[in-house]
Amino acid sequence: MRGPLLKIYKTLHTWVGLIAGMALFIAFYAGALTMFKEPLSRWATPEQWGAQHWPSENQLPDLIKQLITTQPDAAKSFTLHLQQQENTPAAFTWRQGRESTLTWYANLSGDNQLEIHSYEPSAMADLIDRLHQTAGIPGDGHHAVGVYVMGVISVLYILAIVSGLIILLPNLLKDFFSLRESKSPKRFWMDAHNLVGITSLPFHIVIGLTVIVFAFHDQIYDGLGKMAYGDRPLFARPADAPTPSQYTLEQLLPPDQLVAKVKNIAPGFIPRELMYNGVLSARASVRIAGEDPEHMLRGANRGFVSLDPYTGEITDKDYLPGHESGWVNIVITFFALHFGSYGGDPIRWIYFFLGLGGAFVFYTGNLLWVESRRRRQRPHGETVQQARNTRFMAAATVGVCWGCIAGISSAMVAGKWLYPVGTPVNDWYIWVYYSVFLASVAWAFFRGAGRAAVELLWLCSLSTLAIPITALLALLIPNSPAWFHTSADLLLVELTALVAAGIFAHMAIKTRRRLENAAPDSVWGETGYTKKVNPEKGFSANPESPAVT
Amino acid sequence: MSELNSAAATSSVRTRKYAPVQEDWISKTLAGCILGIALAFIASSLFALIGPGGLETPNKIQFNMWIVPPIWMTIFSLVYLFRSGLRAWLWLGSFTVVGAIVLVLVRTLGGE
Repeated sequence: MRGPLLKIYKTLHTWVGLIAGMALFIAFYAGALTMFKEPLSRWATPEQWGAQHWPSENQLPDLIKQLITTQPDAAKSFTLHLQQQENTPAAFTWRQGRESTLTWYANLSGDNQLEIHSYEPSAMADLIDRLHQTAGIPGDGHHAVGVYVMGVISVLYILAIVSGLIILLPNLLKDFFSLRESKSPKRFWMDAHNLVGITSLPFHIVIGLTVIVFAFHDQIYDGLGKMAYGDRPLFARPADAPTPSQYTLEQLLPPDQLVAKVKNIAPGFIPRELMYNGVLSARASVRIAGEDPEHMLRGANRGFVSLDPYTGEITDKDYLPGHESGWVNIVITFFALHFGSYGGDPIRWIYFFLGLGGAFVFYTGNLLWVESRRRRQRPHGETVQQARNTRFMAAATVGVCWGCIAGISSAMVAGKWLYPVGTPVNDWYIWVYYSVFLASVAWAFFRGAGRAAVELLWLCSLSTLAIPITALLALLIPNSPAWFHTSADLLLVELTALVAAGIFAHMAIKTRRRLENAAPDSVWGETGYTKKVNPEKGFSANPESPAVT
Repeated sequence: MSELNSAAATSSVRTRKYAPVQEDWISKTLAGCILGIALAFIASSLFALIGPGGLETPNKIQFNMWIVPPIWMTIFSLVYLFRSGLRAWLWLGSFTVVGAIVLVLVRTLGGE
């Protein structure tokens, strides 16, 4: 019974892994970066917005009244930021409807009046988040097309996880934690693939299942609505109050009193933004978003609580960290386990490395498939050619994986230098990413997997190194178009990029050295870098035949 | 050694007694995918109707929605353990029919 079953699950693991692998690599690499979306968004914001007059707490009530009476869009909805940050140009921001990305902001002018400007927030961090959610697959709808594609990919991903586990089960104790470098390079990579896969198994199961929900929750709600709930509404909606607001703007509670009401019941909650909605209507509400490192959060880095801005009555604490009721409390866990939004920065770094580890598992998985399909050279035979599909897969894997990394780094750098050129910088991010990504994939097919792996690793290293170099130049050159934020956590962006550039360079050198010793009968032996033939193999390469085909 | 021999003997007896596991990629995959979804929806609906809190508990719908993919994927990923695609369809199909009947009964008796 066991043998045939293992064979079936091995085949399943190979094929679902192969189909899903590259999209998952992009989603995981971008996802690892998304753990630091907020600092990255601040990092990508030009510094000229820093020097604004930030209103003091006792000026806020008067400014809110001014804002609501003079700005009809803001009266519908606006956000009050409690914390001055690089990507927060002013205390008040709002948009003209949900579709518009153009954002308005109001700050204090010299004579205590509101000063109103518009700006286009940097989309760099959003681009990385979008790559994380869609793997870069274009197309929009109610959700991005890529989100649905990733939902299907995640179904394959779960099949790959379970089948991988089933294959390993019989030898789990023997193979676990063994890295057999001596036997063969393939055995070593297989052990590494298994080790990282098994140790991060719970993380992978959580990610796979949550992504299926993120993609298909609407369809599941519809199905459950029909099958179980009949005509009942699935979500309670507040009834329309028949009368307009009974309060006047004068009765609006000042922000510090609203915050105090929340602090009363949740002392650990750190409020960050107050989102006012329909202040002039009967349904006036203010939603306070904030952090709480002690509890799981519903959002990627925020929990929420809603109040009546006139009475200060708490109207919805379903998503207030630590105060979620029954079912929500369980559901929050699923969200928080995907977002890593519990435990603050240590958990974020753990998720960062789990994400990179996932990317490693998908990359090695594809290369192991290539290796296992290798056509062996027979002693004294002609130089064998590797099958077209293994060469194709090797080139695609190398191009997509390293192209994605080089593309993100290039876009981050380009955004800083091209900001003053005139074209909205947010368009540049997307163009630079896709140009570098697609060119890398084309390059990998043109040069072959072996040579392209070395060259694209150098591209990754140099484009990532350009991040801290840009910071250095911004510091040294007066009036440079690039900028350099000096907050400690943003210096970590530069430092992380520097370390990553070093790691990519190291990998490039190691890969090159490996290729020099590669057996000619593999996709890695077709580079022309081969110095000597592995003597253990017992055959010699034919010097007449071209090594590259 | 003798244990090994007896194990081999048992397994050969088994091989003679039962048909070996068939791959049946298409029929097993379809069974796992389609009947897996059906069973997951039925299980979640039953939980919604007769699980703690019934239909009226606020926000329970979110939990009900979340448990559909894990149930579906458990069935989908283990469907290849069936000895053949036909057996997968028969077993999972029977569960689906029984589940659907129970769901209809619960809804009718529940005064829907």
